[in-house]
Amino acid sequence: MIDGTVVDLSRAQFAATVLYHFLFVPLTLGLSFLLAAMETVYVTTGKPIYKEMAQFWGKLFMINFALGVATGLTMEFQFGTNWSFYSSFVGDIFGAPLAIEGLMAFFMESTFVGLMVFGWERLSKGQHLAVTWLVALGSNLSALWILIANSFMQDPRGAAFDPTTLRMQLTSFQHLIFSPDAQSKFVHTSIAGYVTAAIFMAGVSAFYMLKKRHMELAKRSFRMAALYGVMATIGVITLGDALGFVAAQAQPTKLAAMEGLWKSEAAPMPFNLIAFPDQARQDNKGAVQIPYLLSLLVTHSIDGTVEGVDALERQATGKIENGIPAVQALKTLSKDPNDPAALAQFKAHAKDLGYGFLVQRYAPDLNNVTPAQVQQAARDTIPPVAAVFWSFRLMVGFGLLMLAFFVLAVLYTLRNKVQDKRWFLIAAVWMIPVPFLANEFGWLVAELGRQPWTVFDVLPTWMSASTHSVGYMVFSLVGFVGLYSIFIVIEMYLMVRAIRQGPEPHHGTGDSRPQPRPALAPRPLPAAVHDTNLEG
Amino acid sequence: MRTFLYFLLFMFLAVVVILMAALLGDLGAWYFAWLVGTTMIVLISAAGAALLDTQEEQAAAEHAVGGVHKQP
Repeated sequence: MIDGTVVDLSRAQFAATVLYHFLFVPLTLGLSFLLAAMETVYVTTGKPIYKEMAQFWGKLFMINFALGVATGLTMEFQFGTNWSFYSSFVGDIFGAPLAIEGLMAFFMESTFVGLMVFGWERLSKGQHLAVTWLVALGSNLSALWILIANSFMQDPRGAAFDPTTLRMQLTSFQHLIFSPDAQSKFVHTSIAGYVTAAIFMAGVSAFYMLKKRHMELAKRSFRMAALYGVMATIGVITLGDALGFVAAQAQPTKLAAMEGLWKSEAAPMPFNLIAFPDQARQDNKGAVQIPYLLSLLVTHSIDGTVEGVDALERQATGKIENGIPAVQALKTLSKDPNDPAALAQFKAHAKDLGYGFLVQRYAPDLNNVTPAQVQQAARDTIPPVAAVFWSFRLMVGFGLLMLAFFVLAVLYTLRNKVQDKRWFLIAAVWMIPVPFLANEFGWLVAELGRQPWTVFDVLPTWMSASTHSVGYMVFSLVGFVGLYSIFIVIEMYLMVRAIRQGPEPHHGTGDSRPQPRPALAPRPLPAAVHDTNLEG
Repeated sequence: MRTFLYFLLFMFLAVVVILMAALLGDLGAWYFAWLVGTTMIVLISAAGAALLDTQEEQAAAEHAVGGVHKQP
């Protein structure tokens, strides 16, 4: 059995890696489409100020993109190094979207990023615009595939466990990529990236307006960010509701944790606005409730109910008892894959196989499982409620704060008065960390809420990790955290330096007409081409 | 000839969009919503910038006219 400390350290290492990586990714996702918007205006109006904007924000995009790629690489390797049982158990399904994500990120996205950065003087305006749009599309499609892989962990669809190969195998690629969790998670995460980029751009533009520097660029960037942000925030809240609705169907334990719902209640159910969940006692302290709201939020009906922890634990007890014979049959099949009795026993109990694995943590000998061990495993099916509950509220609270900010930002910018609202400009600069925090808390809700599973209802976390030593895990964890902290410092330094330097001076104001493209000197042909005898 | 080639290209794109909409609308309504929504968000943001240009030009023109009136 894998040491519990190793499992916890493996989780901490993966969480640290992803949380660092997820500081960079949303900005890339959102900024890429804002670049596309700016360049679209440049190409359609011909005003050089928009080219200057696209180039300036493009520089910040590149700093962020480079560090995002650097932090993302190790994440994919960790599946193999720290989660080897998980990788062998679900690699047939999980590997495909990860491979496509790699192709999207490293071939499509990186190729077009190169063309975008170095192609300003080499491509026509239309070609460069197409490249910028493809960078935006490629960045977001890259995120799509990693989120499809993640959604398989949240709601495994399109796959089945094969008792003869002892691993899960893909049965329907269509069900994998079109699962409700994959769809709602992708749109929610992608658009959260738009919000992040909009706040970032509005904050930096506000900084320039406070300093009375680069006003043409700052006013236009703020206007675009405000409109982009207000629509994206409305979208992210709506799609967050959709994601919650999907989670209510697929992961009722996560929903119960998000809402601090220990006891099932009759409709209409109240919403815990504030509470201090106590996992050991299974109740909340100091709860402040809003009547009727939970039924409306989660079921979109005043008569709707959702199950509390008490009911979910009872259901888990039954599933564990049903899953034990499946694991016992699997042990026989691992020695003789054609044993008909074991195959029949496995098929009869296969749907609760994961729950059989869950109790093995407390009862290695499944022939002598006590009710207390079953109860203990059933309690494990509930994720850490306080952490999920508060992460969810902080994410939602930050989302509502950003909505209020953008509504005001749109009002001020549409009147072209934002540059005169000093207090609001200061607030805009202070808003910059908010979406990053909201994104981190969102990730915590999604992944802590999935516990105790790596693949929900199928594979428990405790048996997914590799059999490393504690010393190795501590060493690599400290190494990762140290390295990534350096990356964050580098990112902050480069960003602040680029922002202080500001954009390259452009020719004329926003009203000026485009400058003619400088004629490129003909490039000398390489010697090898001169020497080639085309006639053979 | 050039117009005809452009016509063919845009017709091809229109057919691809219709097929994608039919397919995604059926299998992946949220993906379809993302495509449409993202395009809308980008274009409204771009239109906002163009509107700011117009507002600034109008303000500059009004300022110029005001300046002319003030002259004796």
